[in-house]
Amino acid sequence: MSDMQRLNAEQRYAHELAALRADDDRPRPANWQLSPQRVVTYLMGGTAPDGTVITPKYVGKRRLMETAVATLATDRALLLLGVPGTAKSWVSEHLAAAICGDSSRVVQGTAGTDENQVRYGWNYAQLLAKGPSREALVPTPVFRAMEAGTLCRIEELTRMGSEVQDTLITVLSERMMPIPELDEIVHARSGFNVIATANNRDKGVNELSAALKRRFNVVVLPLPDALDEEVAIVQQRVADMGQGLQLPLPKNAAEEIARVVAMFRELRDGQTQDGKVTLKTPTGNLSTAEAIAVMVGGLSQCHFFGNGTLSAEDLGANLLGAIVKDPVQDRVVLEEYLETVLKKRADYGAYYHALLELL
Amino acid sequence: MAADIHYFGIRHHGPGSARRLLAALEALVPAEVLIEGPADASDLLPALADPAMKPPVALLAYVVDRPGTASFYPFAEFSPEYVAVCWAVRAGVPVRFIDLPSTLRLQAAVPEAPASNAPEVPDADAPGVDAGAEGEGDAVAAESAEPSPTEASADELQRDPIGVLARAAGYEDGESWWHDWIESGAAAGEPAQVFEAVAGVMATLREQQLELEPLEARREAHMRLQIAAAARTAAGPLAVVCGAWHVPALKARHKAGDDRALLAGLAKCKTRLTWVPWTYPRLASGSGYGAGVAAPRWYRHLWRHGAGGEALSRWMVEVARTLREGGAPCSTAAVIESTRLAHALARVRERPAAGYEDMRDAAIASLCEGEALRWRQHEVALLLGNEVGEIPPDTQLLPLLEDLQRQQKSLRLKPEALERELSLDLRSDGGAARSVLLHRLLLLDVPWGRLLDAGSSRGTFRERWTLAWEPEYAVRLVEHMVYGPTIEQAAAGRSVARMREQNALSGLTALTRRCLEADLPVAVEAGLAAVAERAGHAQECGELMAALPELVSLARYGTAREIALDQLAGLAERMLVQAALALPYAAHGLDAEQSARFCGLLAGVHDCLPLGDFDADAIASWWQAVAYLSADRHASRRACGLACRLLYDAGRLASDELQARMQRMLSPGVPTVEAAQFFEGFFEQAVQRLLHDAGLLAVVDAWLATLDGEVFQEQLPLLRRVFSSLDRSERRHLLDRAVRPSGDHAGSGPGLRAPDAAWLAHEQRLLALLRGEGAWNG
Repeated sequence: MSDMQRLNAEQRYAHELAALRADDDRPRPANWQLSPQRVVTYLMGGTAPDGTVITPKYVGKRRLMETAVATLATDRALLLLGVPGTAKSWVSEHLAAAICGDSSRVVQGTAGTDENQVRYGWNYAQLLAKGPSREALVPTPVFRAMEAGTLCRIEELTRMGSEVQDTLITVLSERMMPIPELDEIVHARSGFNVIATANNRDKGVNELSAALKRRFNVVVLPLPDALDEEVAIVQQRVADMGQGLQLPLPKNAAEEIARVVAMFRELRDGQTQDGKVTLKTPTGNLSTAEAIAVMVGGLSQCHFFGNGTLSAEDLGANLLGAIVKDPVQDRVVLEEYLETVLKKRADYGAYYHALLELL
Repeated sequence: MAADIHYFGIRHHGPGSARRLLAALEALVPAEVLIEGPADASDLLPALADPAMKPPVALLAYVVDRPGTASFYPFAEFSPEYVAVCWAVRAGVPVRFIDLPSTLRLQAAVPEAPASNAPEVPDADAPGVDAGAEGEGDAVAAESAEPSPTEASADELQRDPIGVLARAAGYEDGESWWHDWIESGAAAGEPAQVFEAVAGVMATLREQQLELEPLEARREAHMRLQIAAAARTAAGPLAVVCGAWHVPALKARHKAGDDRALLAGLAKCKTRLTWVPWTYPRLASGSGYGAGVAAPRWYRHLWRHGAGGEALSRWMVEVARTLREGGAPCSTAAVIESTRLAHALARVRERPAAGYEDMRDAAIASLCEGEALRWRQHEVALLLGNEVGEIPPDTQLLPLLEDLQRQQKSLRLKPEALERELSLDLRSDGGAARSVLLHRLLLLDVPWGRLLDAGSSRGTFRERWTLAWEPEYAVRLVEHMVYGPTIEQAAAGRSVARMREQNALSGLTALTRRCLEADLPVAVEAGLAAVAERAGHAQECGELMAALPELVSLARYGTAREIALDQLAGLAERMLVQAALALPYAAHGLDAEQSARFCGLLAGVHDCLPLGDFDADAIASWWQAVAYLSADRHASRRACGLACRLLYDAGRLASDELQARMQRMLSPGVPTVEAAQFFEGFFEQAVQRLLHDAGLLAVVDAWLATLDGEVFQEQLPLLRRVFSSLDRSERRHLLDRAVRPSGDHAGSGPGLRAPDAAWLAHEQRLLALLRGEGAWNG
């Protein structure tokens, strides 16, 4: 097992799940491994009755997780929305792991996902040999989850074509999947439900149809609240990725991370950290994930072309690329930010000049 | 003392305790009802049950010669005190207030601004306080005279102990906690038991309390004495309705002598009490009312329909309706789902019934597509509403009018129906005070005085007004009672309220300037904050440019009066830089009308540059933008022309360069319309230049000469407009120069070309124009 790159949530946290399950006396919805309260504890962290420490899986507002769990406890599907890097897939994996002990039933939505990957496909050799039959039918994760009464995860729902998305409508509202070829129906066992994730600021995605949308309860996962929290997340991830890419981490990386995250947050929030100046926000989403990407790009630039210290010049091009997504509007936003805010800050002087030059 | 006294500890504005109280009163049928409230207002109580009295209303107590010192005691239909009064009046049971009379209480509030803030006293002086934090339960309130830096915890504990307990238990709203723990919890059952349980909790809480504030001690002493007095004469059981916090203290035995000693020798002041209409938004804690509730309309719903079950569905329908009115689609199926989710959430949170947070989270997840922002957009309409209470027409309500009369007397300004002119010298105290009063009244929609030549007099020391009093002004003042009991407070309160509705930057700055003229520092501060925020969001260059001159004049005006405007200069500077950055883009694709407006704004900003205290960098970036604009091929021609002239005037464009540029602009390759626009932009307001600048004259002359007859006629109105600012002699002078180019002026300019045939034809028309003949009469 140990030579696997990554373990599933239910494998990695098996001891926590077992500890939480041990004497769970609160009512459990049918086919749930844990009571809803314990699921929330698993996500938010705490201690199990036997003293096992439960690590927090999600750092953020408890009530969002409560809403998510309560949604799954009814027969409504759950849609996790958020900009990239807000732990949507992470939360979805852990929800599935905690609720049904199996987070592996996943459909990854892409532009190429077709109906056969959502409903069922055919084994054509069998189909030709024996004609339509259950043996010739190839079930999908959704199909299997319905039969087993477990959760099915759909990643990046909005990346699928609209017509593929809409095949979910019957599944979600009538909780059954007709197989007209066999004149059969697969009924979902209780415990079946769908957790979908989607990006709410991506361009070029397929909007959910209103009919599908109203079958989901939506929980929007926000970006981290506090600067320190976000800086810590970025630092850790940048260090991880730097290691993977064999990029050494310059000494001053931590300070520059703090500055870049501070700039990202100011632009994203539309105001300076001290709350004194209101700013315009660029069209891009400037998520934590993008801050990480900027830093890693800068590290690479610094390593191969720089002098070993991470400088504003190394980061400038990546920063510009992250902030200016729309060449007209975002330019004005950035110019304004540079002139009205950064210019007056002595310790951001290098960024001011580097970005001004690139503009 | 053997009388049968029942203490009902309630939660102020708590619908749950109101319902319990009503049941308890009906079961007990007391001989007298005693309520926590200023004892000298007892006479006003029966009016509360008057059918013409529609809550929310407030009992107003104010010091007669200082209406600024005032207390409001608001009552909503779900306030237990209101319910108790209505029950008593209907049942014919005597009812009265037992708390410290307002005469003592307000006297105490005057000199030292006591630290403790009693439950019912909202801040009468901070209409601008905007805590706004939904679900916070309480905003820390400020006392009438000055905001008091009290310890929030002790203070809050007294004001809303239930709310504090609820938050400790992880609830965001006290009412849900009350419902879950008091109503459906261990004490479920008889109302009496409920109140017993509450009193028990409070007794435990109060054990932690070390020392009572002097005012609190006096209040409780007064209530004890009153209860004891009532008990001596009562013919049956007594019902005491007071904040739950006080119950243990009122029950405890104290020596009557000690209590009297506490109250002895207190100074009194003369107060007056009356009813005033109140509003739901002002009941909310966000409005600065200390004992306010987070969501008055949610409480009203709880009072009318109860909690959980059917009431929740009803409320969700209400939510959906509000969302639909706000333009968001919201199906019935979604309402059903949100109701189910609310119930499921309550189960996950292990609460007996769905409460406020469950309702809100469910509504966000299934009605607002997970967007908390959308919920917040509709939250105000949904939770606060805009209902205003009504009071019977015969109620005496005059503090604002009284304040006005007092000021009229002291300023010797009589209200007269006939128009009268008044000239004020703002350098004298009397003049300034009168001006301030008139400006404040204007902000209250009472145009008693109308400012003549408004705007132009700003910055000078003289104002001219016409005064005329109309009877309906008194009515308007009454309507504005809700903003405060004095002209000053009401004007400030109303302005702040209007600033919240005002979205346009220039509107905001104008309003702020009016507040400055009316000497309302609180409102000015709020206005500046709003301007700063709005300026950050301003997308359009025009909006920024329109607001800048106003802002600069604000800064200049402010320096004449003693108001802290330190952030203003920085703000103006930031806006100038913003405007400069946006300028090149803003000048693209404008039609004639828009470019005229744009040029007006540009000139306006330009005029205010020397007046404002801008640093060199900001000015430099502005000039850079203007220079870019002047050479921008895609910009409106008229704006280009104006930019060229501004640069030229400022000596930033050399005269040869200008001539070259103008020649290029006015050359035959350029469509006449564009050339004419450029011409207009440049020479509008500055046609005198032609008199002195032979080079320019030559260029213009050459351009005009190239136009053929028809095109020239098309451009005539424009030329008229431009040349109209010349007076007769200037026009003659120009004519001389045009027809005798090498004439008297010692050959200063290059010689004009020999007139060709087209020119001769134009000349006739032009000469006629310049002489002022024909329809145009200069």
